[in-house]
Parts: sequence; structure tokens; C-alpha cells
Amino acid sequence: MAGNFLADKDICIVAYSETKIERRGGRSAYEIAAEVAEGLYRKSKLGPSDIDGVTFTVPLSECSNPFWSGYATEYLGISTSWLQTTDIGGASAIGNVARAAMAIKSGLCETAMILGVDAPSTQWRAYYGSYRNEFWDPVGIQGPPGAFGLLMNRYEHQYDLDFEGLGALAVAQRNGAIKNPNAYESLRKKITVQDYINSRQVSTPLRLLDSVMWCDGGNGLLMMKTSRAKKLGLGNRVYPISYAEISNFDCANQTPDITATGHSITGPKALRQAKLKAKDIDMFHPYDDFLFAVMLKTEQCGFAKKGQGSQFLRDMDLGPKGDLPINTGGGQISCGQPGLAGGGINLTEAVRQLMGEAKGRQVPNARNALVTGIGVIPYGRNWGSANAMVLVN
Amino acid sequence: MVTKTDVKPRPVPKPTPTTQEFWDGAKKGKLMLQWDPAARKYQFWPRANSVRTGRRNLQWKTTLGKGELYSYTITHVATPGFEDKTPYIVGLIELDEGVRMVANMLNVTPETVEIGMRVKVAWEKLNDDITYFAFEPDKAANRKKRDRP
Repeated sequence: MAGNFLADKDICIVAYSETKIERRGGRSAYEIAAEVAEGLYRKSKLGPSDIDGVTFTVPLSECSNPFWSGYATEYLGISTSWLQTTDIGGASAIGNVARAAMAIKSGLCETAMILGVDAPSTQWRAYYGSYRNEFWDPVGIQGPPGAFGLLMNRYEHQYDLDFEGLGALAVAQRNGAIKNPNAYESLRKKITVQDYINSRQVSTPLRLLDSVMWCDGGNGLLMMKTSRAKKLGLGNRVYPISYAEISNFDCANQTPDITATGHSITGPKALRQAKLKAKDIDMFHPYDDFLFAVMLKTEQCGFAKKGQGSQFLRDMDLGPKGDLPINTGGGQISCGQPGLAGGGINLTEAVRQLMGEAKGRQVPNARNALVTGIGVIPYGRNWGSANAMVLVN
Repeated sequence: MVTKTDVKPRPVPKPTPTTQEFWDGAKKGKLMLQWDPAARKYQFWPRANSVRTGRRNLQWKTTLGKGELYSYTITHVATPGFEDKTPYIVGLIELDEGVRMVANMLNVTPETVEIGMRVKVAWEKLNDDITYFAFEPDKAANRKKRDRP
């Protein structure tokens, strides 16, 4: 097995920042980035001139600009020796933590800002090429909900899908959003398992409350060498200690089992590299575009047995003081999904928890977290990029 | 109620030099697939390269247009061009040639659709240049399947 470049804990996260999630807020990704960056400066006592590395998640609202990274850092007043935008969608957040760690380790930069900022409910500028025009758009499929409808129906055919388990997850995440002042205000209302079951069908068997809502917002982290953080007196540190990423899992296979995803590789690999078992994980912060994706990942990351994810979710206490706390801040499904910056919702909550700042939803004695990302929906499968990271404090 | 005037235009494919042969075949009612002579396997959707060898040596072959329904979803929120059809069924079809296609399912209802049912290609003319593939139940094959002990 290749060495784990994060094992020695010499790279750390020293600050996180997050905006409140809004819908059609009117602000651009640049204006949102300014708020996120200011939050990071306030927490770290650093300023724009201290930052020399920046990595973004490509925003849906700005992706027609081929020079997004340069425009955005110029806007913020940051001069860099390492600058990039990552385009593996919701997998970019933890993907960028790994990339920033590599950049810092290799000496390309000293202090890296990881930014996810997007405003798709205000401004949608995405265009998709490849097979989309000829083989996807004309068939009447309802985008990502349609693709997940196909996936869930196949899973239900092969295994036993208990919708009350998905409902229990919906309720647990909603309870998190109620305690999270950054969640989109309209979603901070109690729901029941029955509300989930009764929510209208979008692309059967997928329901409205299975899904995220497009919103605007942003989040970010500051990273540096642990030695530098100590020198600067930045005492509340979180360490990424393992990372695994795969894109286009089993892609040449023209008739794959679509219920097998890249997380069946990256979940166990990230745990193995961290020298942990699933049962050792204090909290799980999986990327949640749809409840079903979380369910499948409980199986493939090793928490639940294969084919029993929905029963696991039904039977476990998923709250912050429960058996396996999941997406304690509400996740994207109950916070609102700030476009492709959404992957940062799960990641930021994990960092907040590990820094002990989650207030009314704090996981007691949280020592570690497993965070996952999902990027892009490929043709007739599950998801394109599947990554996983273990963080500790 | 959805009236004809509420139906937006359905997206129409713009063929590329690589995909033109697929659409030329479709116009004649032939479902064409790319055959990889080195791997001796088919692939879909059409590309300039083999996904197995990376070589640009693919050949077009006509399929029998038959297969099995691998999965489906019942769409309640229409995409452009389908506003008067809800609820309608989009299928993930596994062709006997060993590829999967996402396509509209015709002549079947949410009550009668079933994973594993035999299906055959059906065609919808979108304009003079583009005839689009869909699938429908292969009644004879399903009857035979049911009668098999």
C-alpha cells in the first residue's frame, strides 16, 4: 500500500468559516467569498497578505469564467504562489484539503485558504457537454433526482429498502438544522418520518424530502504546517490524517452493478490508513445530495452490513449524543445546498465539532470524524467522484 | 391541466462527426452500437475512443434492439417536451449486446412496468433529421418468459 502522506499530522486546519445559507440572496460568489474570508481572518488574526495559497471549488454561478481563480483572488486582494480551482463537484471540499496539504508539504505555499462559494439560486451559468445533449437531455429524465430514482429502484429490487430508515435520517438531519443558525431559515422546522413518507414523489421512488434545495452560500478553511500554527499561537487545530479519492469507479464496465460505488473503495481505504475501524468513528459527515447516498455510504464505509443500510438508519440513534451522529448541523438536505460549495457543509460541521464549537448540537468528546464527498452524476450509474477523509483533533 | 401550448420544445440532439452514424441508423429504424474489435465488446454512449483500449478503431454494428429493463423511475416533474406526459417512465435498459441505455419507456404504465421485463426498441420522430430511440415491452418475449417453468 502506498504511504499515507497525512499520517504524521504535520499539516493542520486552524480556522473554519461559513455563511448563513440563503435562497436567491442576490449576492455573487465574490461577495460571499469576501464574507467567508473575513471570518477566517477574524479567527486566525491573519489577513490577505498572509495567505499565499488558495484553492476553490468551481462554482455553478461562475463556471463560465475560465479565469475564476484569478478574478476571485484579485477581488479578495490575495497574491498567491499556489492557486487552483478543483472541479470534482461536491468532492472538491475534502479533495481541496488533501490538495492544499500536498501544496504546503511540497513548499508551494505556507498558508492555504480553501474556499467553496456559490450562488446558483441567484445566478445559474452551468453548461454540460459530452453525452448530455444527445443522450440525456432528450429522454425526459429529471436530472439528478431521475438518476437517483433509477439507482434507488434497482437497490430496492436487489435488497430491502425501508423508507422509514430514510425518514429517520431526514428527521435526524432536520433536528440538526433547527439547532444550526446557518441553515436556510425555511428549513429550520421540525418534520416527522411520516412527513418524509408523505412528501410528494418527484422521480419514484425518490421523494421531495429525499433531496437538496439549490441555495446560495459559502464556507472555507485555513491550513498550514502544524509547526507554523504553534508559532502563531493557533491552538485549536484539526488534523486531516487520511484521504482516499476515486473518480469514474469501474467506468469501462458497460453493465456494472450500479449499487456498488467508489465509496466501497475509498471509505475502507481512508479508515485503514487512519488505523481505525468504522466502529471507532465518533461521527459521520457524509456528503448528502440525497438521503439514499448517505444510506449507501453507511454500508460501503463499513457502518452497516451490505443491503441493510436503511434498517441501520432506522434502528440507530443518529443525533449528536446517539450511536452514530450523522450530519449534525443538518447536512445539505436540511441546511440547503449552496451549489457546488455544498461539500463544504459536511466538512465545516466536522471541523466545528472537532474544535468543540458546535454548541447545542456538540458531539460529546468527539475525537475523530469521517467525512465524504460526491461529485458529478454519470450516465446510468451512481456518482462519478467518491472520496473520504478522516479528521482528528 | 396541461394543454398543448404549455409543452416546451423537447431538446433535439446535435450530432457530432462521431455520433452521426448512430443518428443515420436511427432514421432508418436501426439501433446502432459501437463495437470494439480488440475487446470484442460493445460500448454506449458513442465516443471517438474505446473505453477499454483507448484506440479509435470502433466499428458501427446494428443491434437487434432487444433487452431487459434493469431499472426505471416514474417521472412526476416533467423535463422540457414532456409536460403533457406525466407521470411517465424513464428506463435503464440492458441490451442483449451488453450495454445499458437510458431511454423513455412507451406503451407501459406505472402499474405494468417491472424490472426484468423484456423490452424492444421503439422510435419517435423528433424532426426530419432526428428519430429518437425509446423502448416498449416485448410482449411476445414476456409471454414466453412467463410460460417458462
